[in-house]
Amino acid sequence: MAETSLPTAPRARVRRLNLRLWLPLSWIGTLVVVALAAPWVAPHDPLAQDLFFERLPPFFLAGTEPGFWLGTDSLGRDVLSRMIHGARIALLVSVSAALITCIFGSALGLLAGYYGGWWDRVISRLVDIWMAFPPVLFAVLLVAVMGTGLTSVIAAIALIDWTRFARVIRAETMVQARMDYVDSARIGGARRLATLVGEILPNVLPSIIALLMLEMGIAVIVEAILSFVNLSISSDDPTWGSMIAEGRNAIHFAWWVLLFPLIALFLTVLSFSQLGEGLKQRFDPVLQ
Amino acid sequence: MTPPSMLDIRNLNVALLNGRPILRDVSLTVAPGEVRALVGESGAGKSMIGKAVLGILPRGLKVTSGEILLEGQPLHDLRPAARRRRVAEVAALIPQDPLTALNPVRRIGAQIVDPLIKIHGWARPAAQARALDLLHRVHIRAPERVMQSYPHELSGGMRQRVLIASAFAASPRLIVADEPTTALDVTVQKQILRLIRELQQETGTAVLFVTHDMGVVAKISQQVSVLFQGKVMEDAPTQAVFDAPDHAYTRALIAATPSYADPERPFSPVPQSLIAEMSAALAMEVRR
Repeated sequence: MAETSLPTAPRARVRRLNLRLWLPLSWIGTLVVVALAAPWVAPHDPLAQDLFFERLPPFFLAGTEPGFWLGTDSLGRDVLSRMIHGARIALLVSVSAALITCIFGSALGLLAGYYGGWWDRVISRLVDIWMAFPPVLFAVLLVAVMGTGLTSVIAAIALIDWTRFARVIRAETMVQARMDYVDSARIGGARRLATLVGEILPNVLPSIIALLMLEMGIAVIVEAILSFVNLSISSDDPTWGSMIAEGRNAIHFAWWVLLFPLIALFLTVLSFSQLGEGLKQRFDPVLQ
Repeated sequence: MTPPSMLDIRNLNVALLNGRPILRDVSLTVAPGEVRALVGESGAGKSMIGKAVLGILPRGLKVTSGEILLEGQPLHDLRPAARRRRVAEVAALIPQDPLTALNPVRRIGAQIVDPLIKIHGWARPAAQARALDLLHRVHIRAPERVMQSYPHELSGGMRQRVLIASAFAASPRLIVADEPTTALDVTVQKQILRLIRELQQETGTAVLFVTHDMGVVAKISQQVSVLFQGKVMEDAPTQAVFDAPDHAYTRALIAATPSYADPERPFSPVPQSLIAEMSAALAMEVRR
């Protein structure tokens, strides 16, 4: 660029449709709508059993009954309805657990990375010790101690996974803290905390958001694992994890009971992780 | 009675935490409205003097003894918060690397205007007008548009102009210019240098100008301190230094400066024998 030439005028360039952003967003958007409207959208009561209709195949196979689109499980409960209600729990857990994990872990990471010294030593050692525990065992232990239920699951996820945020954000913060603009802010009279929040945090935010999305995916998996071993919420309530666990017994002749929740789980986790990258690309002014 | 110096550094010692000296008994003064050059090879500690004054020494470096007086007031008497406020009121920095000295996720305008409002208590319209005026004075052609831009949308030379505008914005009485032209290419260097001199003469701001280039020293400064391994080797008016350099090291530095007038002249670096001899002398001094 020539010296003192104008910066490129307000962006009028053609932006390629960002599939990494819009595909995951549409899947998660659908999931949110369906979860919110579950009682009206679901064709059947997710808990209604009907042993005359047990293990009905999905609509494209022979021997199906109209109205049971994705078939029924061993107790004659509608798979589609259970999946729709399961989405509620999956989303509730993933959003709340990931948010709590993110806020707690990022705050510690920022403090350790910028203040250094004792802050860094104490937080980093804590992270090291924490990560020495096997995570799934840790979660099972926590839920066993706190009792099953939604809050225990959320608390368990937050207590296990904050280290992921703390470590990554600490490293990012250390990189940013060495930049001259931080010195400039300090010379300009900004206090340390103000510098951290006002100057460094906005630069670390794209990474925080990417991690947050990743964490939502992980939270969905952890919830599914805990329901799989029957340590999530009560086994009556439909969750993807418990559906997979139930379907496991009949995988050879009623594979749909296991497969459809598994696909939903897979798509959701993949969407969250891709959404993180997509958002980072979209909103980081430096990457644009 | 003579007015107090703008900046008075007395027997300043800075060392690494392991005791290795970085600055040795550095003393120098900058009179109001005067430009003092600090010159030396890389690693001579010249930037550290500026950083010590501004209170942004990197982690692991400590002032072990000595005094820094800003407008006659000793800084080490002040509590950290008061010291920072005092420095923010009086001094500003033109940093070395324009690529990292602006916060990448904040608009240029906000980065110039915010300190004026937050630290110096200006009203927003006044601060905005001031920023526009200064961007205009550093010869940026469309200041309104640049105010709305992000740093990555500007070239290196333009960013350095923005930083110069930002440094002069609050009418500081002392500016530390830390190799402000090193990261720029040669043609831009000349323009930036001229610009700093122009604004300095207009505003009468005192400048501590850190550089490794004797050619720059000759163009911009009235006084010069020559540093070698953290020790001031020569401290004299610039004219006198060029007419009759007192110290062998200064003579070698001047001889090592490439000349535009005579580009065919062979490059003559500072002789290794001289460096070895001076290092040995410094080592002796420490042992005593």
